[in-house]
Amino acid sequence: MKSSEPLTPVTAYTRRRSRAVRSLVLLVLFALVWTGFWLLGASAPQRFEDDVEHFKYGSIGSDNAERGLPYWIFTVLPEVFPEHLPPGGKGYEAFGLLVEPGRDRPVGFSKRRVFGIDLLGLNCALCHTSVVRDDPGTEPRLVVGMPANTVDLQGLFQFIFRCAGDGRFTEANLLAAIEGHVDLNFIERILYRIAIARFRETVLAQRDKLEYWNDIPAFGPGRVDTFGPYATLLFGMGVDGLIGTSDFPSLWNQNPRVGMELHWDGNNDSVEERNRSASIGAGNTPESMDEESLARLAEWIGDLPPPPLPAERVDRSKVDLGRTLFGKHCANCHAFDGERVGKVEPLANVGTDPHRTDAFTVELAKQMNTLGEGYPWKFTRFKTTDGYANQPLDGIWARAPYLHNGSVPTLWDLLLDPDERPKTFYRGDASYDWENVGFRSDRPKDEERRLFLFDTTLPGNGNGGHLYGVDLEPESKRALVEYMKTL
Amino acid sequence: MEAVRSPNAERHEEDRDQIFQPLSFRSGLRVKNRLFRSSISGTFDEYNGHGTHARLNWEESFARGGIGAIISSFVPVTVRGRILPRYATIDDDDKIPFWREVGRRVHAHDCRFLLQLSHSGRQQDVGGVENLYRVARSSTSKKDYFHGILSQAMSRGEIGQIVQLFADGAERAQKAGLDGVELHGANGYLLTQFLSSGINDRVDEYGGGVEGRARFVLEIVRAIRKRVGSGFHLQMKINAVDHNSWLYPWEKAGNRLEETLKICTILEDDGAGVDAFHVSSGSTFPHPRNPPGDFPVGEAPLWYDVMLSSGVRTGLNQRIFKNRFLASLFRKFWLWRRGKVIEGINAEYARDIRNHVNVPVVCTGGFQHAHVIADVIRRGWCDGVTIARPLIANRDLPKILEQANGPEPSKECTYCNKCLLNDLENPLGCYELSRYDGATFEERYANMMRSVMSVFEPPAFGPKAESGPEPAAAEIAEKGRAR
Repeated sequence: MKSSEPLTPVTAYTRRRSRAVRSLVLLVLFALVWTGFWLLGASAPQRFEDDVEHFKYGSIGSDNAERGLPYWIFTVLPEVFPEHLPPGGKGYEAFGLLVEPGRDRPVGFSKRRVFGIDLLGLNCALCHTSVVRDDPGTEPRLVVGMPANTVDLQGLFQFIFRCAGDGRFTEANLLAAIEGHVDLNFIERILYRIAIARFRETVLAQRDKLEYWNDIPAFGPGRVDTFGPYATLLFGMGVDGLIGTSDFPSLWNQNPRVGMELHWDGNNDSVEERNRSASIGAGNTPESMDEESLARLAEWIGDLPPPPLPAERVDRSKVDLGRTLFGKHCANCHAFDGERVGKVEPLANVGTDPHRTDAFTVELAKQMNTLGEGYPWKFTRFKTTDGYANQPLDGIWARAPYLHNGSVPTLWDLLLDPDERPKTFYRGDASYDWENVGFRSDRPKDEERRLFLFDTTLPGNGNGGHLYGVDLEPESKRALVEYMKTL
Repeated sequence: MEAVRSPNAERHEEDRDQIFQPLSFRSGLRVKNRLFRSSISGTFDEYNGHGTHARLNWEESFARGGIGAIISSFVPVTVRGRILPRYATIDDDDKIPFWREVGRRVHAHDCRFLLQLSHSGRQQDVGGVENLYRVARSSTSKKDYFHGILSQAMSRGEIGQIVQLFADGAERAQKAGLDGVELHGANGYLLTQFLSSGINDRVDEYGGGVEGRARFVLEIVRAIRKRVGSGFHLQMKINAVDHNSWLYPWEKAGNRLEETLKICTILEDDGAGVDAFHVSSGSTFPHPRNPPGDFPVGEAPLWYDVMLSSGVRTGLNQRIFKNRFLASLFRKFWLWRRGKVIEGINAEYARDIRNHVNVPVVCTGGFQHAHVIADVIRRGWCDGVTIARPLIANRDLPKILEQANGPEPSKECTYCNKCLLNDLENPLGCYELSRYDGATFEERYANMMRSVMSVFEPPAFGPKAESGPEPAAAEIAEKGRAR
């Protein structure tokens, strides 16, 4: 056929139409792909150039579709349900969460878009970053790697439980609040409707599984029952009568801890398993673990130095004596080169509150060792012990209050006979008591929020035991405390 | 249709007398009974429009069966106005001898012959190679919504030319010794495209109100009268109601009865216009109301393919016809849009038109029983009926109606419309297998083929072909013309 022959009108029309249809189909496909990509594609997990920023806000994989918290739902809860906040509280700061200026979320939360919705995930910094107010009236400073002394994790979760269980937790109310902050498009509105319903369902299911929290003494800030939620949420086990509440630990200097019996009770001697199990606690699943980020953080905390106590706060004249006393009375268990450091001290010796070590049962250890089935890192090292592991005391000043359950506010108090240690004291204060080495514990309210009255007479909160050094002369105790400021 | 008398053998004589009384028109045309063969085609002719012996056989077969008058097939006044190739045309004087022969053949049976002057406009099912690069002309540039046949609105100049082509065609019919002409102004063809308020979107003097839309047809009527005088029968086939939105509810409904009554008055032209009206309905062809009956979903995918290159929606239609589920949905829709009545579907419309006009009215729509036909004539709803498919099924239907109320039930036209679909590719005939004798499918099919192919008998060359009608019959024919 010569190319000069014209098309018949019908052929010309149908070709034009085919071209138009093809263009339309391409356009629709493009739109679909774009929408699909936008909808289904997760944004890349958030990474920060700076290690500290990454630690505070970067993803470890917990911002996943299964367990991530929808950002906007989380964000509007305090304004929709202010009555569920602690009295006088505003926003998540009421639970001691740290909000840095210019940030859209507290420290310890990563953010990532999945299925068209921004999700929050918890990361290590939530429980391992805190603030110290050096002097009254000054702004508190942020210290990374430090136990989150102000963070009331249980209070935070119970707030969310109360919100989800409130009759006003409806799609309409939540959407209205969300749209006060951000314009949602048609698809986002649908997605949020789904997310709100799902959030309520998931949260209430979790609430029911954590009902045992109502039967044990409140955690208060700076503490958590680490393993109880694994038992009830992951393994469906009962935890009747078990109280595993203990202090958040510090994260620094992990390399020197390799090979030590880790966790308060020394139930695992693998740094890697300890890291991974903590990340599961933060919301990771075996599939969601962000290997690259976890490896980077593990490396970073491996040789992260403890924060130095300000030099001007140390009475150098007493340090030498203190060092000597430490060498004599403490180093065997608490110096990195000590013979017994990183080893479990039987309860019979240390005599501290038994609940935490008792709460980690044989059955739970067995269950923990089922995690990671099919992965090269599958847990194998969990075991039960009969005491508490001897901890190296690096950065001990920033790890107050003391003992595994945080039942003793200062180092000075720890050197007192248990009967003389404070029976009750306030936890969560960011102000520091440089003399006794610990956070202030004598006032019900600090500059920001109401504090938590810690009662050592409640089960799991006992402040007895660890009688080492209680018989020293006061001057010796002072010297020992001054020396320990330098650790 | 309401209140049709039920068949009653005792009253058949009465019915027969009603049907078999002659009908005279002011034009001088006199038809021996009230039965007309409605226009129905068949792709029997030469591609370029010359008639063939098959057409002669075809038309004669109806005359032989006793029909009073035959309205020809769709006869295009120009090749641009054809609906399918191989239909005889009246586009040139060289066609006159053929039509003269047609007249001679049917007159021999005392049957009148009216030539249907036609133009497809945009409803051009298969334009043929001559029209391959041409866009169909119409009142509108909107494409036909059923098949998507492309269309371009005619200029005034083109309108004038087409008016003359109709007049030429009428003059040729007269020269051929035929008994009259019918303008095909129904069922969606060019004249409907001007008349219908659902299709005509012109803003010039040929569109707008009833007068504007009827102007084109009135010009044709006057042009024909000018050529052939008042003594040559001229009748108008018209849609009583367009029902133009049958397929897509968003299409405009088209002409209502009141508009059609006004159009009829215009076309009577104070007594100088048309001599009769032929009432149909439905602004497309086919249309659920015309020919009223079934939609043969089994046949559609076999034969509709010939139309694939004709329109821009034919592909969609064929996909629907080929999909058994969609096709059955389409069929149900078709039946729903038709309604329950088949036989006499337009009778009440005819009544209203006949009450309004001053000329006789004939009516089409599934007629094949004496009691129905006699009833509508007796009531004065129409003066005669036109029949197509039941006559294809039974060429001797008039003779049957003389003796009985209708054909044997097993021989009745089933209104299956398989003939309609087969006409696209095959010789026109009755393709309803159930009507044929035989113990097996093969026997029935063989009988069906014999019946369908009988249109080619006798052949063009052979002993029988050379024998014309007997002199006695020819004499009767001459007398019957009563001119």
